[in-house]
Amino acid sequence: MKSCTGKILKVDLTAGTTSVEKIPDEIYEAVLSGKGLGAWYLYKNIPAGADPLGPENILGFCSGALTGTGAFMTGRWTVVCKSPLTGGWGDANCGGVFSSAIKQCGYDAIFFSGISEKPVYLYCDNKGAEIRDASGYWGLDAVESENRLREDNSRGKKPCIAVIGQAGENLSLISGICNEGGRIAARSGVGAVMGSKKLKAVVLAGSKPMPCADPDAVKALSKELGRKINKMWIPKGLGGGIGLMGVGMGKSPLALPMDGSMTAYLFREWGTPSNTPLAVTSGDGPLKNWSAGPNEVHGMRLAMDYNPEKINKIEEAKYHCYSCPLGCGGRLDISGIDYSEYYETHKPEYETLQAFGPLCVNRDLRSVLYMNELLNRAGMDSISAGNTVAWAIECYENGIITKEQTDGLELKWGNYEAEIELLRKMISREGFGNDLADGVKRAAEKYGGKEYAMHVGGQEPGMHDTRNDPQLGIHMVAEPAPGKHTIGMSIQYGAMSLCDICSWAPPATLHPKSEDLEPTENIALISKANACYSMLFDGIGGCYYAEMMGVHMYKAIEYINAAAGWNYDGDHYMEIGARIQTIRQMFNVKHGYEPSKVKLPKRMQGMPPLKTGPLKGVTLKNDEQVAAHWKAFGWDEKTGHPLPETVEMLGINRLMEM
Amino acid sequence: MAAKKEPHFSYRNCVSCSICVQACPVGALDLTRPGKSGRYRNFFPELVNDRCIGCSMCAKSCPMECINMTAVFDGE
Repeated sequence: MKSCTGKILKVDLTAGTTSVEKIPDEIYEAVLSGKGLGAWYLYKNIPAGADPLGPENILGFCSGALTGTGAFMTGRWTVVCKSPLTGGWGDANCGGVFSSAIKQCGYDAIFFSGISEKPVYLYCDNKGAEIRDASGYWGLDAVESENRLREDNSRGKKPCIAVIGQAGENLSLISGICNEGGRIAARSGVGAVMGSKKLKAVVLAGSKPMPCADPDAVKALSKELGRKINKMWIPKGLGGGIGLMGVGMGKSPLALPMDGSMTAYLFREWGTPSNTPLAVTSGDGPLKNWSAGPNEVHGMRLAMDYNPEKINKIEEAKYHCYSCPLGCGGRLDISGIDYSEYYETHKPEYETLQAFGPLCVNRDLRSVLYMNELLNRAGMDSISAGNTVAWAIECYENGIITKEQTDGLELKWGNYEAEIELLRKMISREGFGNDLADGVKRAAEKYGGKEYAMHVGGQEPGMHDTRNDPQLGIHMVAEPAPGKHTIGMSIQYGAMSLCDICSWAPPATLHPKSEDLEPTENIALISKANACYSMLFDGIGGCYYAEMMGVHMYKAIEYINAAAGWNYDGDHYMEIGARIQTIRQMFNVKHGYEPSKVKLPKRMQGMPPLKTGPLKGVTLKNDEQVAAHWKAFGWDEKTGHPLPETVEMLGINRLMEM
Repeated sequence: MAAKKEPHFSYRNCVSCSICVQACPVGALDLTRPGKSGRYRNFFPELVNDRCIGCSMCAKSCPMECINMTAVFDGE
């Protein structure tokens, strides 16, 4: 593939050695790079039954197939491993600049195996790779570690650094890996795997050119997209109206296909915080640990508390990931928060705002900004941590957990001071926090309150309510890394227009919301198309928000053909997506993770249904929808295991022999 | 008098994507110049040290064609 280097770097931390392996071109043709390359490599090389925190687990950092080609919005890097949180496939995805840095060292991915005796970091530049002592950085938070490592390696090009904070060092199963001052590959417990290997950081300072078949054609596509985005703006002050828009969406009996450019407009103006007020009032965002409708928590007031204009007021400047013209990120001035020892933070994503705001009925935006910085520095997943804190509050309110057990913390809805203190304890694994640092499943196994513990297969769900979007409920269960919110949603499908590039993808239509609840073949094809396109983007290093812009605004197929020197159609690329997804599921089966045992919590299925609000009376038919989804993929509809004929048809057996 | 080329930035169409910053083989650029993109506060690329070797990698990499290599002379 002409947009990839064709090589991976392998690091054995037990032996303290590095080596380079050439990857056959057929692998890139079949699974691209990024998550696809990672899935192929991990399926082949991690033995069945390997301990996720043991030496046999492999931790991979994968760049995308389009990263560095000039294609906009392809700066995502994917971390892959066997997940200690779920026991099955694990991956996490992040923006920043690290993806291009992997390629500029001359590799498409870096895979770590073994365990080092003492803390180390990997340094790599044009001359090669070297394992170095990291004792002086161990114990520091991710931001401070990154700054010091950059200072200490500043002779050549400014290095790009992926690093764990205290949460990863402490083997918290809800920890992630950071770059760029707190942007985090957060899911699946990837930080704990890095910590278990005693690998503090990966420091990359290469400057090799990144390959591309037809750079002029790629640049022309980017210029067209960049010009469109540069002209986008929304008049100041409209953020306060988003909550009202959500009220309308929640009340409407119809699901509207949205234009993909809406994503670009909203995220250019406010970033993902634009979704918070909409989520609170429309039913998209879970409230009070997934237990309440908006009226029960003063939804309109909560929506105004999280008006994104408040965040824009303290935004110093936009933050753009590598190759992104949109800039949905931002650097915020938080010096006005009197109890904060930090002056600046990355703009929190919607997920963090919702998880520590409305999910915990916390009306104090400033406290969430502060908690965002705490989590970014510690390298802890805000989705998992938020669900876990919300569980603890509900248990406390219902007498399942006592004040003695919480070390004196008054865990009440909206008590943000207690939330902050609990987070500190989770990060440092102190007292009650130690029991919560491995996520809500394990906490509920110890203390009870399992009915309040929102997790799917061990991983806490993203902040979008499955009762509002049953399509999302399918993916939260059927996705090989369960609980993720980025694989597919109805609203996303409506924006993408996949039927215009894929012959079997159904058109998105204006339809009654009740239709989304049915386990029909049409719904199964939509969920399959969502998953395949999502895997394609993870293979190219593409951003989820480029995906959401739709195929007419973000021309992924044209980009890949130009960068790789290929001439395939959308059906071909959707099959690549299906292949990546099938290999990930095969990984789960190989490691004894049984997909059929993964269920949505009853509450997330609407059992019993909510009594008020836009989701009143909604109950999912999730089991049937998941079975139909598996069938559409050519997997066994009862077990979720990929069928032998599907594996053969996708050519996976042959790939595994390479 | 020896002539050397250095990047000259036209920020009007710049989208702060940092492709040029990463393309620079010697680390001569960074996104440090404050400015505005439309009405949004942003940081734009600029030369941050004297390492530039005039290789044009930044200009070649820019999808928005915002970088021109212009001659500078010793002492300028």
